[in-house]
Amino acid sequence: MSLFWLSVGFGLVTASVLTIAAIGLSLQFGITNYVNFAYGDFMALGAFFTYVLNNQLLHLNIWIALTLGSLAMGVFAVTVNHFLLAPFARRFPTTHYVLIVTFGLSLIMLNVIYSIWGADVRFYAVPITVAMHIGPLLLTKNQLIVMGIAAALMLGVHTMLRTTRLGKSMRAMSDNTALAMTSGIDTRLITTITWFLSGAMAGLAGTVLAIDEGNLTPASGELFLFVIFAAVILGGIGSIYGAMAGAILIGLATEISAAFINPAYKLDVAFVALIVALLIRPSGLIARPGTT
Amino acid sequence: MTYYVFTLVFFLFDYFILAMGLNIQYGAAGILNFAYIGFVAIGAYFTGVASLPANTLGQQYILGLGLPFPLNTLIGGLAAMLLSVAVALITLRRLRTDYLAIVLISMSLVLYDFCNNFVSMFNGADGLYNVPEPFAKTLGLSVNSFIPFFACVAGVVALIMWFVMSRVTRAPLGRTFRAVRDDHVVAAALGKDVFRMQLKSMMIGSFYAGIGGGLLIQFGGSFNPTAWLPGETFVVFAVLIVGGAGNNIGMFVGALLVETLLIHLPAFLPEIPGHPGLIEYFDLAVVGIVLMLMLWFRPQGMVPESVRRAASFGASERPDGEADDLELGTPAAPARVAFESGDPQ
Repeated sequence: MSLFWLSVGFGLVTASVLTIAAIGLSLQFGITNYVNFAYGDFMALGAFFTYVLNNQLLHLNIWIALTLGSLAMGVFAVTVNHFLLAPFARRFPTTHYVLIVTFGLSLIMLNVIYSIWGADVRFYAVPITVAMHIGPLLLTKNQLIVMGIAAALMLGVHTMLRTTRLGKSMRAMSDNTALAMTSGIDTRLITTITWFLSGAMAGLAGTVLAIDEGNLTPASGELFLFVIFAAVILGGIGSIYGAMAGAILIGLATEISAAFINPAYKLDVAFVALIVALLIRPSGLIARPGTT
Repeated sequence: MTYYVFTLVFFLFDYFILAMGLNIQYGAAGILNFAYIGFVAIGAYFTGVASLPANTLGQQYILGLGLPFPLNTLIGGLAAMLLSVAVALITLRRLRTDYLAIVLISMSLVLYDFCNNFVSMFNGADGLYNVPEPFAKTLGLSVNSFIPFFACVAGVVALIMWFVMSRVTRAPLGRTFRAVRDDHVVAAALGKDVFRMQLKSMMIGSFYAGIGGGLLIQFGGSFNPTAWLPGETFVVFAVLIVGGAGNNIGMFVGALLVETLLIHLPAFLPEIPGHPGLIEYFDLAVVGIVLMLMLWFRPQGMVPESVRRAASFGASERPDGEADDLELGTPAAPARVAFESGDPQ
């Protein structure tokens, strides 16, 4: 039984990381209507930005480095969109080309990260914290902070989408870009802001993933990307709330299953969940109009 | 020196085959198969286990049939084809292009993860090795003479497969593929079963992937999971885009430019001291950049898809009474830059 509760704890942490990543991916997908296959490498690059601030240049506290690293990643995402993705999306009417471009961007970014930082496994300077009992769960302070960040982000995104002008414009664009534009919404500005948020969340997710796993390699984002996809499709692609629900389900499912079957197969559990979701409810738990 | 040259020649032919397979899926039928390298891997593994004897010291694998050359590779091709049927049945009907791409790329990652961990199937992370070299024993070939020999074998296989593929592309089947790619609603309205067409193109393409993979494992004698990370799919896409999607000859040009010149030639450069692997990383990044420049400045590729003019409805415009199949949606503009595949937006 203790093993079960231990894996529930891990599951909640994984779900938190996954939620941050899935919201970032979904937000951008909802606005631009194409998937960013380089998202995993956005995460890795964000994690390395934090690494530089934390270990190499300024030796900042990990949480300050995380904030700055995520913001830097947001700026990076805006730059990439402005000079690379947006021109392609404008020029070619169908999504094929821009999908191939993001796929290519992923290859470029991965190999640039490899060229700069090498293939070595790296570690953050994180203060070691003792695990404590919270109810039946056993969690460290760092894991609690990660969960707190995820919860705050979910609440923040929800408030933003429901109450602010920016959030309403985003929802309008996500439903119908042309209509939003004719209603006087500055779609380019909204797209830029969305890319900033998406990039910042990718950086944040990449860093907390590395904190959670205890190490950092250039390829860690790439494998995790698939788990994000599983969560996002399970939840209903493009739907922010679906992404949150899918992330929590997949996070818990992968970690709890690791208590019963060989942990090496926990990715396959996520994949099976994805396939079952596709067979039973291809539009996802919370469907967004026009997705099938 | 001949060793190097023939290695390059082999990879040229092998990627020609791989690119033709992807071309029938993406270039002809418009399926964005980001899991392509997974099918190549399945072909390679099944060729491996079909040609290895039942028991080998230190390796675990299924089957172990000990079959000779053309048969084992055929098994690899058929295995990849079977996998594609399973994948297509689950995904093709349900998903629009970009979700399909997501599921496919996820599938290739999971397949990778699974083969890495499930040791008793294909020997796990170590992969298969000591795969028999075809004809090496019967013809008494040494390590040095095997490489030119097998490069020629690959050339013959590539030639046969090119011939078959060029027939398929010109046949009514190929035309229907293009119709589905250009506008699947119109194709469906004219009575074409869109799902069956996509399934067929997936099957043909995956068979090519499997054969290409089978040649790959027999050439090197070994195959392990690091050889087919998802990034490898991108290389095949680069071959396809640089060559010109929709054109079989373009695949050869693409294989020559991307695979031979960009991927394999720099591998012979000396390592930069103190930076192991730097050239390789840099090289792959360059492939990505070349592909983006190509997409921007010449999206139709080096050898663009030929403009196929349809026989018009009006009988007067037909050159002779020949009843040509109605060809759909081929625009008259030579630079066809967009595949209309029915995205709602």
